[in-house]
Amino acid sequence: MEEDPGKSGSGGGGAEGIINLKPNSSMPISYHPSFGPHEDLLLLEVDEKLLPHILHQRVTVRGECDEEAVLCTSSTTYAIKFVGNSNSIFLIPPFENSEFTDENGEKGDSCKAAQVLKLASGNMELVEIAPRLGKLKSLLMENPYRSEEDSVDPMEEEEYLERGKMGLYRWEDLVAKVQASDEELRAELKALSAVEINGYWRIVDDEYIDVVLSMLLHNSVLFGWNLTSLNEDEISSVLESDGFSRRISLHNLEVYGNKLDTDMEGKCVWRLDEKRICVHFAKGVLKEGKMKMDRFMEEWVQKIPARMCADFEMLEGEVLVEKLGVETWVRAFSVSSLPLTPADRFAALFREKQKWEMKDLHPYIRDLRVPGVSAEGLLLKYTRRTQPTPGAELIFSAR
Amino acid sequence: MKIEVKCSCGDGNCPEWAIVEIQGMIEVQPCFKDRIQNLEIGILCRTSSEENYTFTVGYHELSGTKMKLKKPYLILKKKRTIFESIPDDDEEEDISKANSPKTETELEVIGIIRHRILFKTRPKPLISKPQVVVNEKKSGPRTVAVPMVE
Repeated sequence: MEEDPGKSGSGGGGAEGIINLKPNSSMPISYHPSFGPHEDLLLLEVDEKLLPHILHQRVTVRGECDEEAVLCTSSTTYAIKFVGNSNSIFLIPPFENSEFTDENGEKGDSCKAAQVLKLASGNMELVEIAPRLGKLKSLLMENPYRSEEDSVDPMEEEEYLERGKMGLYRWEDLVAKVQASDEELRAELKALSAVEINGYWRIVDDEYIDVVLSMLLHNSVLFGWNLTSLNEDEISSVLESDGFSRRISLHNLEVYGNKLDTDMEGKCVWRLDEKRICVHFAKGVLKEGKMKMDRFMEEWVQKIPARMCADFEMLEGEVLVEKLGVETWVRAFSVSSLPLTPADRFAALFREKQKWEMKDLHPYIRDLRVPGVSAEGLLLKYTRRTQPTPGAELIFSAR
Repeated sequence: MKIEVKCSCGDGNCPEWAIVEIQGMIEVQPCFKDRIQNLEIGILCRTSSEENYTFTVGYHELSGTKMKLKKPYLILKKKRTIFESIPDDDEEEDISKANSPKTETELEVIGIIRHRILFKTRPKPLISKPQVVVNEKKSGPRTVAVPMVE
């Protein structure tokens, strides 16, 4: 085909030429001097609302080599999916594009042509997903904080690999290993009661935190502290003299209490949370295994500090009640010990117990979040419901 | 691994690329197969009516329209930076580590696509000298997961 020079009339070539092609004009399209597979060029479909995040360099791609890549903004995680297209998609760069010149530095002979650099076989798209946080707990459990001797001196800067071998992770190590946005990662660290000690994120061993809490409660009796108004400085220095670091005593307050206002002298005041303290002791009582309800309640009430009130309702999502004949038994079964993904969570629940009533099931699934799927949707997908008699409670079992 | 997605063009200044999309494939005559660079594919022509275009390839004419993409595409370029490997005292113990230089992958936004000119009709034959041939092939899009880029 021959181009009619009279009709060509939009000025330059390249992508600009195509986009701004005027009516009744034409433009040749040819292969670019460096046309080729260009596998390093990727097309990413992006929602307008996400665009500013990317253009302002606020997104990262995360994952390890054997994982499917995710893209994270500061608050959200997206799966990256490749969508194939059987059409031929000709990719045309702008004419003024220094990146793609051939070996001789030429841009091709015709400045009036649009030049196809690559034939794209499809594009990538982003799908919002729940963060993949399951790995975080297992990383932090590699080396839980068991005593003050476990604290690592920040002066001993170790090679990244060495840190990994010791099961110690800094924030940047976690970001590189866990597929979640910064906000989601932070929220999960909080949910796991992890604490940053000397630059490393640690989970404090159950037994050790039990020792710290007991020491705090003993001291509160000894010094007449009010559990609803604890002075952080005073507590830290007393616990320090007992051999506990300030970071650990503060962590203990963070886990079992809430920070009230700072007082007039700028000191932090904490109030211990009745429910969290009670749950802690209930777990301790049930550590040995299941118990008859009466005995459990007796032991539990004995353990908790004076002026605190144990209520069985507090143990929602922490214990299971079982009726065997005339006897009622309780056993520890904590939602925090269960997998985070819906499929694994429901599998674990139905392994524990084949049939669930809604009121029992709810505390074990209410934390599940899947973008675009409601709680009801999850139940429909992963459970079968039966009703023994009309008007009776619904029973959920595995599909 | 954490890969930074860089963008040096800043907001609103991303160079705009274009997409011309046709159904099926362009088949290059065998004698041009090895020197496809600079080869002319066809002539794109905007007709007098607003967003209608024709694309003449060989003796086939396609008609299509320019449309704004519902969601824009970004063009990302995968870049690999290689670091000098750090001298290792225990080289004999860990040869594999010493031999592989550290690389870091970076993704850079180099352009944005907001429009495409889509030719989705069957080609209309013209009487002219044949150059290249358009093959029609239709199948639905398919979705597969992308493995982590290295």
